[in-house]
Amino acid sequence: MIKWGVYTLALLPVWFLEAYVLSRVPLWGVSPMLLPLAAVAVAVLEGASGGAGFGVAVGVLCGAVYGTGGLIVLGMCLIGLGCGLLTQYVLRRDLLGCLLCAVLGLGLVDVARVVMRMAGGERDLPAMLSLAGREILWSLVFVAPVYALFHWVFQRVPKKTHF
Amino acid sequence: MKDFLRNNGFLILVIAVLLALIITVVSFIMTGFADPVSNLVGIISTPFRNGINAVINWTEDRYDEAFRRDELQAAYDQLQKDYAELEEKFRESQSALDENERLRNLLGLKERRRELKFEAATVTAHGASNWDSTLTLGKGADGGIEAGDCVVDEYGNLVGIIEKVGANWSTVMTVVDSDLEMGGLIARTNDAAILEGDFALMGQGKLKLSYLPESSELMAGDQVLTSGLSGTYPSGLVVGSIEEVRTDASGMNRYAVITPETKLDSLEQVFVVTGFEIVE
Repeated sequence: MIKWGVYTLALLPVWFLEAYVLSRVPLWGVSPMLLPLAAVAVAVLEGASGGAGFGVAVGVLCGAVYGTGGLIVLGMCLIGLGCGLLTQYVLRRDLLGCLLCAVLGLGLVDVARVVMRMAGGERDLPAMLSLAGREILWSLVFVAPVYALFHWVFQRVPKKTHF
Repeated sequence: MKDFLRNNGFLILVIAVLLALIITVVSFIMTGFADPVSNLVGIISTPFRNGINAVINWTEDRYDEAFRRDELQAAYDQLQKDYAELEEKFRESQSALDENERLRNLLGLKERRRELKFEAATVTAHGASNWDSTLTLGKGADGGIEAGDCVVDEYGNLVGIIEKVGANWSTVMTVVDSDLEMGGLIARTNDAAILEGDFALMGQGKLKLSYLPESSELMAGDQVLTSGLSGTYPSGLVVGSIEEVRTDASGMNRYAVITPETKLDSLEQVFVVTGFEIVE
């Protein structure tokens, strides 16, 4: 459990940076999503089960930060699971693998948002796609530092996974 | 030596008297200045005096350092503590001044809008999502706040509507959020229309006024207020002003782009309208 406690501690600066710093200084009118990147980074390092478990914790935090409902908890869990499986069987467990998983993960989050908004009656698809594109691009800039942070933690915690 | 004095004694006496006379006369003439002899002595002795003074000062400093260091350090620490306290007080008073200013403005607003009941709340966070425009307030159900209450700034400009309420927190959907929809009124022409958030305009911090009457002639700068026609929200709250009028993609309908009057990015304190009377 200590291992996951340390991962959760590492999540705190990421959350603080996203919620209180970067959200106040948007670039191209958007602020980056760092919490999903944290879920992806841990999934890449810890595999499917660890990624899914940590995804749940990140999902709960995402719900509070983004003001979304409980669906994001399930979404983050699935992203953690998917990214873990991808790096276990298809991709390499390195920064490049994390970058590819981040593209997929962020893409899934924003596709879900667009679909839900369209189901809710929003019709301005070009504006939503433009926002999603800018948001994903700006977020990808932070893949390397977030991955480096969790890789640093990964090298210093016991390797056994309890999930 | 005895012979010298015996042979030249008178001469020496005369020279001494003359010298004394000269000094006396010169001193009398140069009132306020040192006499030449004193001056000469002073000139010669000054470097020595300075040197001695420097040595004494240095010795005193070393003594102070050796025996009064703790005392001086304590005094320095105390001064630093006092300085930090003063700085803290200054910051507090600055914050109190700002709050005082806001409350004074609110007092003016309360005088003007007697039918509204206000509850002050602090903005604790700005929404981090790019897909919504929200604020989090530090007051909730405990403060009498309910979902659907209007939120205004100290000047009475509409900030948004309470969306979710917790025990001691609440979230506000701001006027530019794409989910916002409420009745609007153009102050100059009295034309009613619908204020609604727009996804594309939300990123620019603006909203739109749709369903404009065919006959309405709008001008940039026209003020837009809440209509209060449904009875859900109070009327007459300033939302913003018209920036431009556009035609939608179908080319059939016009809508106006509204710039909110309130500064959403810099809000620190807002006032929730917890109750209002409908004025006919």
